[in-house]
Amino acid sequence: MTRCALLAAGVGLALLASACTNDPYPEQDSGRRIFYTTFGEPPKTLDPQVAYSTSDHLVLSNAYETLLEYHFLKRPYTLIPGLAREVPEPRRLPDGRVAYRFRLLEGVRYHDDPSFGLAGAGRTTREMRADDVVFGIQRIADAAVNSPVIGNFEKIVGLRAFSRRLDELRSDAAFAAQRIDAQYTAAGGVEGLRILGPHEFEVVLEESYPQILYWFAMPFTSPVPWEAVAWYDGEGGRHHFAEVAVGTGPFRLVRYDKRSRIVMERNPAWYGIEHPEWKAPGATYPREGEPQDREAGRLDPAYVGRPLPFLERIEFRLEKESIPAFTKFLQGYYDASGIIKESFDRVIREDALSPEMAALGMQLERSVTPGVYYLGFNMTDPVVGTPAGERGRKLRQAMSLAVDAREFLRIFLNGRGIPAHSPLPPGLFGHDPDYENPWRSLELARARELLAQAGYARGLDPDTGQPLRLTFDTADTSAAGRLRYQFFVDAWKRIGIDVEIAATNYNQFREKVRNGSYQLFMWGWIADYPDPENFLFLLWSPMGQTASGGPNTANFSDPDYDALFLQMKNRVNDARRLEIIRVMQGILERERPWIELFHPEDYALYHAWVRNVKPMGLPVPTLKYRDVDPERRAELREAWNRPVRWPAYALGAMALGLFLPAVRTFLRERQ
Amino acid sequence: MLAYLLRRTLYGLVTVLGVLLFLFVLFFLYATPEDVARRALGEKAPPEVIQRWLVNHGYDKPRFWNAERPLDTMLVEHFRRMLTFDFGRSDADDVPIKKRLGEGVLPSLALTVPLFAMGLLISMALSLLVAFFRETYIDRTGVILCVLAMSVSILIYILGGQYLIGKLLRWFPISGFDASPAVITRFLALPWLVGLLNGVGSDVRFYRTVFVEETSRDYVRTARAKGAGDARIMVHHVLRNALIPILTNVVVAIPFLFTGSILLESFFGIPGLGSITVDAINANDFATLRVMVYIGALLFIAGQILTDVAYTLVDPRVRLE
Repeated sequence: MTRCALLAAGVGLALLASACTNDPYPEQDSGRRIFYTTFGEPPKTLDPQVAYSTSDHLVLSNAYETLLEYHFLKRPYTLIPGLAREVPEPRRLPDGRVAYRFRLLEGVRYHDDPSFGLAGAGRTTREMRADDVVFGIQRIADAAVNSPVIGNFEKIVGLRAFSRRLDELRSDAAFAAQRIDAQYTAAGGVEGLRILGPHEFEVVLEESYPQILYWFAMPFTSPVPWEAVAWYDGEGGRHHFAEVAVGTGPFRLVRYDKRSRIVMERNPAWYGIEHPEWKAPGATYPREGEPQDREAGRLDPAYVGRPLPFLERIEFRLEKESIPAFTKFLQGYYDASGIIKESFDRVIREDALSPEMAALGMQLERSVTPGVYYLGFNMTDPVVGTPAGERGRKLRQAMSLAVDAREFLRIFLNGRGIPAHSPLPPGLFGHDPDYENPWRSLELARARELLAQAGYARGLDPDTGQPLRLTFDTADTSAAGRLRYQFFVDAWKRIGIDVEIAATNYNQFREKVRNGSYQLFMWGWIADYPDPENFLFLLWSPMGQTASGGPNTANFSDPDYDALFLQMKNRVNDARRLEIIRVMQGILERERPWIELFHPEDYALYHAWVRNVKPMGLPVPTLKYRDVDPERRAELREAWNRPVRWPAYALGAMALGLFLPAVRTFLRERQ
Repeated sequence: MLAYLLRRTLYGLVTVLGVLLFLFVLFFLYATPEDVARRALGEKAPPEVIQRWLVNHGYDKPRFWNAERPLDTMLVEHFRRMLTFDFGRSDADDVPIKKRLGEGVLPSLALTVPLFAMGLLISMALSLLVAFFRETYIDRTGVILCVLAMSVSILIYILGGQYLIGKLLRWFPISGFDASPAVITRFLALPWLVGLLNGVGSDVRFYRTVFVEETSRDYVRTARAKGAGDARIMVHHVLRNALIPILTNVVVAIPFLFTGSILLESFFGIPGLGSITVDAINANDFATLRVMVYIGALLFIAGQILTDVAYTLVDPRVRLE
């Protein structure tokens, strides 16, 4: 018994001693070109036609490729060919429709995968073809796939009709039992998706829709092999298609424990590696960028023109809590990190890296995210909305003049953001950096005057003789949220308006929004693609939240704005489009359905050993451009993480010191 | 005994049904199916996609009552799925829930089983020690340390442990998990330590009381009079006779080893069953949440029945009727 206990204690101590290091990675990985990063939320799906969240795209956009991509260094965002040979030009057809012809790279193969056995015994891969792209878009139309972007592709001729036909045919069990590609073929395909050859196809649109090209830079239109969709059906122990990634990308998924660890490895069969002589734009490090890219070392001759990718492996680790994640970053175990609020003052001093962080060799990258945060008025509300007429408009204008976005950013976001004057963020066509919204500066005297003109002199409601009482609805019940919203309440209090915060849970908040029973709220929007249409549609009346469940949460409805939006949305970026945008901006300026707050700014930290970093703002893949210096990383990690052992020895000595006298007394008494 | 066990099982089943009904009512008082869909699909999902999701997940049916087809309601479907163990797919990401449970059970067991065994061994050893040195400075120091350990919230142990041991002393990783044999103990060392510190105080106090009570019994005096040594008396006589109350304390905890530890798993990023529950609550994932509650209720009933059976095994005087 005693021997067993001693043995168990010995084994336990040995295990504990072997565990005594804070290095989370195995020793054999220390010299490899691995990029270590985190994900805060597990991906919901890896199905490219369904995935819509940043966490989904973080993983799948390294495995699936798109026909078009964004230039890594150029801003404003510029489309370059990816799997396509060139960025296609629109071609107007005699019947008024518009066609885009895509020519694809030849010899691009999918990742090795058992699903290709369906196409022939023993096969593990095959070449990517034009029909795979068409198959992917057909999946968007397939109701069973439930792609969230079906509405964005309905301009493709025959897409909706295909969707309906497929639905009808599926009521026949014999049809539904067929293989998925056979079902699509039997349903007659999509009229506006014409396959012109093994590597060429055409997309025909009902009308002009220049934004379609941006959708070809998103994974929704990635080529998908029918074999993978048919094979990964979740039956017979096989995965579901949403849990695998059978793409053509530079990295392939080798481990998918989405609740702890996701691993991607360089795809040795990637066309960029197998055919560097092609110098394909999406597979070669860019030769040109912005002037500051050269200064920042992003046009280093050691990389320029070299075939991608540089990394051997990408390790994603789940980190739900920001503090442990940031600590591990500071220990050198993650290569990149955002800056947590709790450590902001330690990391940033006077808008630059603190001397402490600079001494560690950190790099700080700042980028404005193409998004906007705003305070919204429910325009169907009788007090603050359109029904209140001129009175309501003046009230909204007065409230807009009372909110200081710069101060809000300073207090709550450590200044990480740019005060917004219109919905359009910097970097987008239509954004005017010199534009100053006359209602977005802090002018309390003018606000009070407007309130008086609206019939609320000194903020008093003439019906009650009390300060005008409004409600600010939010789904954030946290103490931090309450403080944030209290900032606005205090701002409006200064002009005499009494705003009450109604913090409910998310579900109750959604219920209020659905029913239109709210007055004021705060909301945000991050772009899907860098086009003004993707922001200005947030105030287009058919998108009204209460009426149709759309993203127009202010329920703003203005016939002039709606008409201008229709003129603007399908135009290319020309002078007329800019002119329309200016007029629309003028309507928003006057009507004030929103009080524009800020365009968020990302601060990202990278260690000294990380190369080729340029934040994109959009969730598009950039890891194929990135590189690390593993030797330097190993050196610094070693220096930063030597364990402090003396407290363990001190504790042991204290325990001995506590027990020895008692044992001695016991032994003496027994003698 | 068989009749008793059957009766207990039936009572347990009624309790489980009640728990399931309570969960359903409570959840849908708080959330609507549209909220569940929107959480799963994101804020940008258009209404038609949300509607289709509701149909695919069976949330388009009436909640409680359907006059035309009384059995075609969400409530009936809820009970049918649970009672037939047809758990279906997660509302959050469509992963089969059985698969998720299978993936979560090993990390949970890797955390809880060694923690349970170490906790039991260390608590018993320490309580035997303080009982042996009772009324000395060792006993009094033990009381102070145990009360101190019991008084501190587990959250303080977790955050303090992460800060002191993970960040300042750099002995173990602050959080995370990797099931590879080469590194798994690194990740579990700190949660084990925190779990031990949190549990050992109350266990030592409880076991000490049991041991001290046993050492004052007649058979101990007799053994001593017959010349048995102190160590032999403590281990062979006192420990064996003190097993009944200890066993009840221990057996009831065994079923919950499978469900993991909600707090330890959440804070240390261990992808076990405990953190699945927290994730399900945060994601409005009713399908997963009800399975976790259901399994928790079943294990609780199993724990109660096991404890009753264990009584009869360690004390032949106890009969279950």
